[in-house]
Amino acid sequence: METLAPKIIFWVFTGLMLGSALVVVLGTNLVRAAFALLATFFSVAAFYAMLGADFLAGVQILVYVGGILTLFLFGVMLTNRIYGLELETATFQLGSGALVSLTVFAVLVTVVLTTPWSQTALVEEGPTTPAIGRLLMTEYVLPFEIASVLLLVALLGAAMLVRRRIDL
Amino acid sequence: MERLDTVSSLQYFVPEIVLVFSLMAVLFCDLISKNRSQSERRLVIVIPTLIGLVVALFYAFAGAGEVSAGLFNNMVALDGFGNVLRILFIASSIFVLLFTVHSKELKSVHHGELLVLLLTVTVSLIWMANSINLMMIYLALETVSIASYVMVGYLKTDRFSNEASLKYIIFGAVSSGTMLFGMSLLFGLTGSLDLYEIRAALSNQEIVASSGPALMVIIVLILAGIGFKMATVPFHFWCPDVYTGAPTPVTAFLSVGPKVAGFAVLVRFFYGGLSEPAGGHNWAMVGSVDWQTILMVVAVLTMSLGNIAALTQTNVKRLLAYSSIAHAGYIMMGAAVLTGEGIQAMVAYMVVYLFMNLGAFLVVIIVHNEIGSFEVKDYAGIWRRAPMLTLVMGVFLFSLMGIPPFAGFLAKWYVFSAVIKAGLGWFAVVGGVNSAIGAFYYLQILKTMFVDGDETPSPAKPLILQPIYAGLLFVLVVPNIIGLLLWGYLDRVAQYSQRLLDVI
Amino acid sequence: MIPLEYYLVVASALFSLGLFGLLTKKNAVNVLMSIELMFNAANINLIAFSRFVTGDTEGQVFALFVIVIAACESAVALAIVMSLYRILKGVDLPEASALKG
Repeated sequence: METLAPKIIFWVFTGLMLGSALVVVLGTNLVRAAFALLATFFSVAAFYAMLGADFLAGVQILVYVGGILTLFLFGVMLTNRIYGLELETATFQLGSGALVSLTVFAVLVTVVLTTPWSQTALVEEGPTTPAIGRLLMTEYVLPFEIASVLLLVALLGAAMLVRRRIDL
Repeated sequence: MERLDTVSSLQYFVPEIVLVFSLMAVLFCDLISKNRSQSERRLVIVIPTLIGLVVALFYAFAGAGEVSAGLFNNMVALDGFGNVLRILFIASSIFVLLFTVHSKELKSVHHGELLVLLLTVTVSLIWMANSINLMMIYLALETVSIASYVMVGYLKTDRFSNEASLKYIIFGAVSSGTMLFGMSLLFGLTGSLDLYEIRAALSNQEIVASSGPALMVIIVLILAGIGFKMATVPFHFWCPDVYTGAPTPVTAFLSVGPKVAGFAVLVRFFYGGLSEPAGGHNWAMVGSVDWQTILMVVAVLTMSLGNIAALTQTNVKRLLAYSSIAHAGYIMMGAAVLTGEGIQAMVAYMVVYLFMNLGAFLVVIIVHNEIGSFEVKDYAGIWRRAPMLTLVMGVFLFSLMGIPPFAGFLAKWYVFSAVIKAGLGWFAVVGGVNSAIGAFYYLQILKTMFVDGDETPSPAKPLILQPIYAGLLFVLVVPNIIGLLLWGYLDRVAQYSQRLLDVI
Repeated sequence: MIPLEYYLVVASALFSLGLFGLLTKKNAVNVLMSIELMFNAANINLIAFSRFVTGDTEGQVFALFVIVIAACESAVALAIVMSLYRILKGVDLPEASALKG
């Protein structure tokens, strides 16, 4: 019973994740796609939790579900009629798109399954937040600072672009 | 290889710190000058930006010493290669800053955010070019990208600027997502994010024997991200549209800064992570994938496609976009030969490319200010209105062609001699044929400027040249003319830049 | 316990679905959603490897930065989409809203 439970959880969330991702990429309704994306993000967070990344699971829900998804919903609501834009240089048919992505999937799965990953790590349970915090303040302090510059400039850029007044 | 901790790294990090502080200062100056007139306000923000960049340039020159180390616990490298590129990025930003001052396209918009973005891109280009950790590469690359998306869409009331920006961001996000997936697999294969530890892991026979297909997939995925920044085939689709839609000073910047930084990442990744010094100036690949061939194929395709597509262009910015794709192919040749001379050739080419390409774009900006068009056919008669400007454009174009007395020839000579020295004669032939094709479209512009002018009935009204632009033209054109005299200096720079982290 | 390969295959599937979405969708917001799927796939990889291969939190820190970057990128991307939408709408329906300030 104990060995079965993680398996069931894994398969449930896998089904939820891939099913909702299918709705995102196949559906025609944008709002429905946004809500399907919610389910995808949640199941990805569940994956993180299953992999022992408790902090990341929390961040995933906070940032993706709380932030990015809300942003997407705003985007959908505010620009609901933005169809027919020439985004791609070549417009793919559904068939060739499926062909390309299935080929990529086949290649990736072959590689993933044939490569002997060196799984030497000791499995340790427990909160990861202190370890992440320590890494961020020691080894990864430069990326941490760069991320603040990135956030500043993204804030500035996004605010500049959506502001209505031209000359300010 | 020395590994420095955070505190002892700071002394080698002065230019970057100066740039970050000046970007905050510019933001602040922009806010406090809110109630002033447009022209006063522009001055209040341009001057601190310029001071910041010049001070950073000074410290970058002062910091170009003999020390080489991995700063911030092996996050970024401090070495000859990085020091040269650091100077190059700051110098190109100074040029672009001055380009924006009188640009007609940017006249109606406020410059505050643009200059903050310019400083951000400059500093993150330096980080990007010097990263030796997968995470740093990704983070710096994305910072460059996100700031340049906004720069491209800066004319927010202009439809083309916005469309270019949207196209840029979608292509950028896709390629960065692809690269990220490749990086995650590489992390799994080698168990490390540090490029030098990755190299050590890939030298392990056990991994080499079993990782062939995985490494192949990883290299292709990661090349998608780097190729997007370098604008090499097959990740160049965004390039012509984005270059055409963006404000011209931003186009000029994109054609130099991010492209050069993309090549720097290529060198860091392939020479740091996937090959090791093998005595003399030679490098040997580690792992089981022949990525040298991939790079060669990409180089050949890139320059051929860029040159052939440029032949039919009628818009100057579009033409220069394809020309910059072709030049990326030539620079890629240097990377693909896998020798120290190849790296020297790349850096020498990039230095010369900065002067000739920015020069050509400056002429485009000046002409657009006057005639309001980017079409080649509207360049007719420029010769009678501005003979000096036409001659200067001639110098830039001849330099881009690689005609002997000009600096562009020197750049091509470096690349071709590195290729021949590595015993790849056919590769040099392909490059030579491409240069010959390239001459056609550059000459087309010149021909229009000179010959077709006689049919225009309007009286030859002299073209107005702002003092700043005149000075910039002078600074840009002189190195192109006396290129051969500067050979010795360029050679010293190239020799110095060949020093990657673990090369003495 | 679920083996590493299971996670990697699911991540590959998610990545391919994202790729499919971005190749076939014409709507900009929908394309951005597909790209988020690709980022999430890479993050699953990173965290799975961090658990099974290295056993430390290095991969998790990388994933954390990826989330930060993805947030910035979608903010800027949606700002651009909105700015473009405003122009295109302005072309269709002449309104005074743009001048209102």
